[in-house]
Amino acid sequence: MARRLPAFLNTTAFRVTMLSAALLALSSLVILTFVYFASVGASLRRTDATVEEEIAVIENRVRNGGIDAVNRYILQRSVGGSDFLYLLVHPTGRRVSGNLSGLPDEEADEEGRLQFSYRRPPAGEEESEKDERLARGRLAPLPGGYAVFVGLDVEDEDRLVGGLLRAVLAASALALALGMASGIFISRRFARRLDAINNVARQVRAGDLKQRTPRTMTGDELDELSANFNGMLDRIEELMHRMKNVGDSIAHDLRSPLTRMRNRLDEALRDESTDREATVAQAISDADELLRVFNAILSISRLESGDRRQKLEAIDPQAIAEDLAELYDPVCEDAGISFSAEIAPGCQIAGERDLVSQAIANLLDNAVKYTPEGGAIALRLRCRANGEVEFSVTDTGPGIPGSDRIRVIQRFVRLDNSRSKPGSGLGLSLVKAIAEYHGARLELDDGPGTGPHGPGLRAALVFPAPK
Amino acid sequence: MRILIIEDDREAAGYIRKGLRESGHVVDHAADGEEALEMARASEYDILVVDRMLPKMDGLTVIETLRSENDRTPALILSALGEVDHRVEGLKAGGDDYLVKPYAFAELLARVEALARRRDPETVKTKLVVGDLEMDLLARTVVRGDEEIILQPREFRLLEFLMKHAGQVVTRTMLLEKVWDYHFDPQTNVIDVHISRLRSKIDKPFDQPILHTVRGAGYRLQA
Repeated sequence: MARRLPAFLNTTAFRVTMLSAALLALSSLVILTFVYFASVGASLRRTDATVEEEIAVIENRVRNGGIDAVNRYILQRSVGGSDFLYLLVHPTGRRVSGNLSGLPDEEADEEGRLQFSYRRPPAGEEESEKDERLARGRLAPLPGGYAVFVGLDVEDEDRLVGGLLRAVLAASALALALGMASGIFISRRFARRLDAINNVARQVRAGDLKQRTPRTMTGDELDELSANFNGMLDRIEELMHRMKNVGDSIAHDLRSPLTRMRNRLDEALRDESTDREATVAQAISDADELLRVFNAILSISRLESGDRRQKLEAIDPQAIAEDLAELYDPVCEDAGISFSAEIAPGCQIAGERDLVSQAIANLLDNAVKYTPEGGAIALRLRCRANGEVEFSVTDTGPGIPGSDRIRVIQRFVRLDNSRSKPGSGLGLSLVKAIAEYHGARLELDDGPGTGPHGPGLRAALVFPAPK
Repeated sequence: MRILIIEDDREAAGYIRKGLRESGHVVDHAADGEEALEMARASEYDILVVDRMLPKMDGLTVIETLRSENDRTPALILSALGEVDHRVEGLKAGGDDYLVKPYAFAELLARVEALARRRDPETVKTKLVVGDLEMDLLARTVVRGDEEIILQPREFRLLEFLMKHAGQVVTRTMLLEKVWDYHFDPQTNVIDVHISRLRSKIDKPFDQPILHTVRGAGYRLQA
């Protein structure tokens, strides 16, 4: 392969400006060429017309005064610096008079006109000019076998036209050169900015997610590209961060129960005296717990990918709340906690019954887990005046300090004082994922607790008014 | 029972096959949808255990095809897709039960045996009897021995399900699904609490317990 060209030569911008410069040069060439030929044509026609007029004058003289009158006229006209050139030719072909030494040998066109060069008589007063000059004329027959050649000096016009031709070529060349120069300039700028973006992309690909492309804030398309590119990188970084978090948390939260299970099985294998049946049963329940964590992670991911949001149907929150109250009432009673339910009739929400039930069951699970014996748990359903529907679960446990409330709904976050309790640490993040899936929000506040255990927790799921 | 396992993952298939054989069933295995269809047409099975995603022809199509040929063999669908509408899809295609991967073998076994039971030509029973426990489905009364037992509506449905599957293991998940119609696992053992309530009504006052806990699996009602 050939050596690599400088980067800017290989840019689209360069090619585009090159192309437009070439087109500009070409079109100026075409236009100016047209102008050139048009003006040359006009000048020729003018010259020819003048020659014809002069021939007409001579013919007039012949009719009025015969050849002698013509001869006199020509002699008179040939003196001095006239632009006209004459040659009166005798029927024998002999030169009679005129300021031309002989007939030009250049070939005539079909009208008898010819363009020729001639020498000015050496005695001419304009020595500074070149001797060889360009002229144009026609041989006209006269009565009696005579003929007269009348020409007109066009050297000056020819020079003018030649100058025009050079100007045309120069202008086209200049247009091309300017176009190329601006092409190089624009494409270098363009290439520099694209290089910056490409560099960032390369660095990101190499693993440095912190890189961002520079912004010019001009709002042009490259700046917009940079902005979009950076936005995409932000999103990727966030996702990577989340993945890493999930990975870490999975490692953290699955490793300990797996290790526990492994140790128990290992011990049972080596120590004959252990109750093997109990160990296996325990291992199975450990595995079930792991499956639960695993399922929760899957559910959260699916909910967060949220591809089924349109499919929500109208469901009856009253039935949901009543079923859950009935499910959890005995659980609370067994745990020595008083349970109450206040369920308003007639509300409506859009959602999936199973998911909504799961979210509230999770809140109730948490409440049961953290409320000490003698405490109280309440499940409430109410329709707010603005059409929102609120499920709330309150307990009289330790509650969650305000500063931790954001943190606990992140995946796997378990406050230190809850590490000893069973649970995946996924409960509230699952609730939040379900809430977001429904366009609902999760509110955490202090509960009604007044005892020594803490303020308790009020967790509420607020669903938007159904459309 | 003759069971056809349709599962492309050989290891998973082997695990199910071994477990089902140990439980006394005859087990065949098909590794893709087309093979499964041929085998199901060629011989009579009591149960089909169908993985949803299969090479050549997916599990739902296999079931749909069989149903269109008037083959009513109960089918248990295994799937990694666990959302409600995935379930609905599976049941619409003609599946009789739906189990989400990963699952415990005990769960699979319990569901397979429950499905086989369903196949018995079930005349509309109005009375369920397990030992000295009797349930009248019309009068909605329960009597054990001579004593009438008063149950809450949900307890009644729970007991009804257990009695319909008497002698079989019923898992907690099955109870949540069939009695409460929930397809998620509450973290707290809510089912245990409800079972123990029920137990205190139908077992405690009597000498012979009939509601047994099966460790690592669930419960069984047996006289």
